[in-house]
Amino acid sequence: MATRKKVLLKVIILGDSSVGKTSLMNQYVNKKFTNQYKATIGADFLTKEVMVDDRIVTMQIWDTAGQERFQSLGVAFYRGADCCVLVFDVTSPGSFKSLDGWRDEFLIQASPSDPDHFPFVVLGNKVDLENRAVSSKRAQQWCQNKNGLPYFETSAKEAINVEQAFKTIARNALAQESDVELYNEFPDQIKLSGGSTENRSSGGDNCAC
Amino acid sequence: MISSEEYSENMEEAQETDISILVSDVNNIAIEESEVNKSISENKPLPSSSEQSNSYENLFDQLKGHNKHIFVLSTAGKPIYTRFGNENQLASLFGLMLALMSVTQDSNDTLQSICCGRTRIVFVNKDPIILVGVSQRSEPYDQIKKQLIYVYNNIISTLTLTQLKKIFLNRTNFDLRRLMSGSERLIDKLITFTENDPGFLLDSISCLQMPSNSRDKITQTILTECSKIKNLVFGLLIAQKHIISIVRMKKYSLQVSDIHLILNLINSTESFKTAESWTPICLPTFDSSGYMHAHISYLAEDCQACLVLLTIDHDLFFTLSEAKRKITEKMRRNDCLQAINDAIIRQPLSLARANILGLRHLLYKIKNRSQHWCPPFTLPYNTDTLQQNLMSVYCSLISQMNFPGRNLKVIYQQLTSETIVAWATDEVELYMCFEPMVSKECATNAVTKLTQWMKKEEDSLFIFNIPMF
Ligand SMILES: Nc1nc2c(ncn2[C@@H]2O[C@H](COP(=O)(O)OP(=O)(O)OP(=O)(O)O)[C@@H](O)[C@H]2O)c(=O)[nH]1
Ligand SMILES: [Mg+2]
Repeated sequence: MATRKKVLLKVIILGDSSVGKTSLMNQYVNKKFTNQYKATIGADFLTKEVMVDDRIVTMQIWDTAGQERFQSLGVAFYRGADCCVLVFDVTSPGSFKSLDGWRDEFLIQASPSDPDHFPFVVLGNKVDLENRAVSSKRAQQWCQNKNGLPYFETSAKEAINVEQAFKTIARNALAQESDVELYNEFPDQIKLSGGSTENRSSGGDNCAC
Repeated sequence: MISSEEYSENMEEAQETDISILVSDVNNIAIEESEVNKSISENKPLPSSSEQSNSYENLFDQLKGHNKHIFVLSTAGKPIYTRFGNENQLASLFGLMLALMSVTQDSNDTLQSICCGRTRIVFVNKDPIILVGVSQRSEPYDQIKKQLIYVYNNIISTLTLTQLKKIFLNRTNFDLRRLMSGSERLIDKLITFTENDPGFLLDSISCLQMPSNSRDKITQTILTECSKIKNLVFGLLIAQKHIISIVRMKKYSLQVSDIHLILNLINSTESFKTAESWTPICLPTFDSSGYMHAHISYLAEDCQACLVLLTIDHDLFFTLSEAKRKITEKMRRNDCLQAINDAIIRQPLSLARANILGLRHLLYKIKNRSQHWCPPFTLPYNTDTLQQNLMSVYCSLISQMNFPGRNLKVIYQQLTSETIVAWATDEVELYMCFEPMVSKECATNAVTKLTQWMKKEEDSLFIFNIPMF
C-alpha cells in the first residue's frame, strides 16, 4: 500500500435548527462568522484539508438542515459516514433534548456496522451567550451515558473550542476509517460451464467476435 | 454551499422544490484551499476574502476549461475518480452529487439526467459506485451513459464485481482510491478512446489490413499452439488499435466491449513492450465475477505486434510463455512476422481509391462480425478538431439510426458543412460523409458503387476466419 495514502473523511453535522451547525462549519473552514441567520436548505458541503498526526486528511463536511421541512435527504445521504457531530444550543433546552432523536435517526439511516462504537462528537454551542440553560454537567452526563462520547463547549461566534472540537472529530473519524481492514483475497477462479451461462452474452447481443 | 436562502423569503418555494434548489446553486459550492502544511490545531491567520474566492474560482475555472467531465464516487459520496482536477478538492461537489441521488431515491425514483442549457449531466447508479458524466458537447444521453458504463467496466476489470461488492458490504465508508492507484491513468485513456474511436460508436473492432492468406497463416500458427493448452480461452494478436487475429475456445466468444478494455490496457501500458507480463484482468461482459489471467507480450524486438493469451488458470504462466516462444519462432520461419511488419508500415487503404465523386469519409461496419473500417482522414478533415467534429456528426447519425424501437434503413441529411447519409442492410451499416450539396440520387449511386468496391477490398479489411479449438 502506498505510504502516503490519501484519506477522505465523511463528517455529518446534525442538530436542531439554528443551533449553529452552519456557523461552526464556517468558523472552522472559512474563519468567518455572521449574526445573520440563513436556514440551510437541504444540505451544505464544505471541504477542508488538515493534518492529523502527520497524515494529510480531507474532511468532507456534510452540514444538514435542522428545520424539518428542509430535511428528507434520503437514506443514502448518511451512508458511510466516518463521524457524526451532534450540535445543540446551550441556551436552548429543547435543542439539547433533541439530541437523542438525532442520534437515533442517524443510526437508523446510516446503519453503521458497529452502532455502539460509532464515533459521535457532541458540541454545546453558543457558550458566549449569557442566558445559558443547559449546564455542562447535564450535557456531560448525557455523553457519559452514551458510551462516553467526547463533548465540547463551543462558540462559533468567538471561535472558542472550534478547532479543538474538529481536531477530535477528524481524529475519531480517521480511527473509524482506518478500522477498515482489507484482505487481499482473490476471488474464485472462473468456471467454464460450456458457454451456456446467460451473463456471458448479456453485454451486447450482436457484438461478439 | 448548496444553498442558504433567506429564511423568511424563500421557505414556501423551498418546500416544494427541494431538488431544484439543490441543483440551482451548484456553482456555489464552497471549497477550502488546502491546508496541507498546517497542523489541525494551529490557528492560522484569517484569510482575506479575496484569497477565499480565488481558490474557489480557480477550481471551477479549471473545471470549466473542459467540456466533458466524468466523476466516479462511492454510494457514500466519497470521491473515487475525476477526469480533471483533484478529487480531494472537489469533495464537496461529490457530496452534492450523492445528495441529488439520495433525494430522488428517497421518493422511490431514480435520477438519470439533468439538462441545463447546453449542459447535460448523466447519472448511473451501479451500487456500490455511482458514475456521473457532464457534457457540454451536445452528446446524446445514451452516448454519455455508455461512456460511464465503459468506465465502470474498467473498474470492474481491475477488481472484479465480486470483490467490489465484498469490499463495500460491511464498509460503506471505504475509500476505493486505495485500490485504484494506477488505474486512474487507464480510465483517462479509456475516456479519450470513447471520444475518438469509431469502434466505441459502432460497437465494433478495427482489423489490421493485410492479405487474407497472410492472416490465415498467422491465425493457423496461433491456433496450433493454443489448441494444445487446457483452460486457454482466447488468443488475440494486436497491432496498436487494430486486431490482426483472434482464436477462441469452442462455445466462447469475446464481446467487443471486453476487447476494447484489453486494447486500452495494452495501448496505455508502455512496460508491456519491454517485458512479458502476467496480469489478472476481469472481462466484465464475459464474466464479472472473477479474473482471467492474461499473458501479454510483444512478438519480437523486430515485430511490434502484441500477443494476448487469456486463461482462467492462474498457474499457466510458464506454459503460455513457452507457447508464445514457439508461436514467434514459427512465425519467423514461415514469414508471418514479415507479413505483420509489412502490414503495419503499409499506407492504409485510402477511400480515394474507390473514386467516388463527392465522398469525403465513411464508416463501414459488418454487423454480424462487429468489425468496422474507418479509412484515414483526408482533407478537409486534417485537424484534430475537424476530425472530432466529424466524429460528433457520426455519433448523432449512429444514434438516430439505432434509436430503440425504430427501424430506419436510410437517413439523408444536408448539413451546413457536409451531406451525410446512413444506410443499413441486413449485413452492413454505412455512414457516409459527402460534400455539402450532394443530391439524394448522387448519394444513392455512391452507395451502390461503394458496395461493389468493398466486395473486392473486404477480404483484407476484415477478419472472416475466427477459428475455435
Ligand atoms: N451568539 C452566538 N450566536 C451563534 C453562534 N453560532 C451560531 N449563532 C447564531 O445562530 C443563528 C443560527 O446559526 P446557524 O449556523 O445558521 O444554525 P444552523 O444550525 O445551521 O441552522 P439550520 O441551518 O436551520 O439547521 C445565526 O444567527 C448565528 O449567527 C454562537 O456560537 N454564538
Ligand atoms: Mg445551517
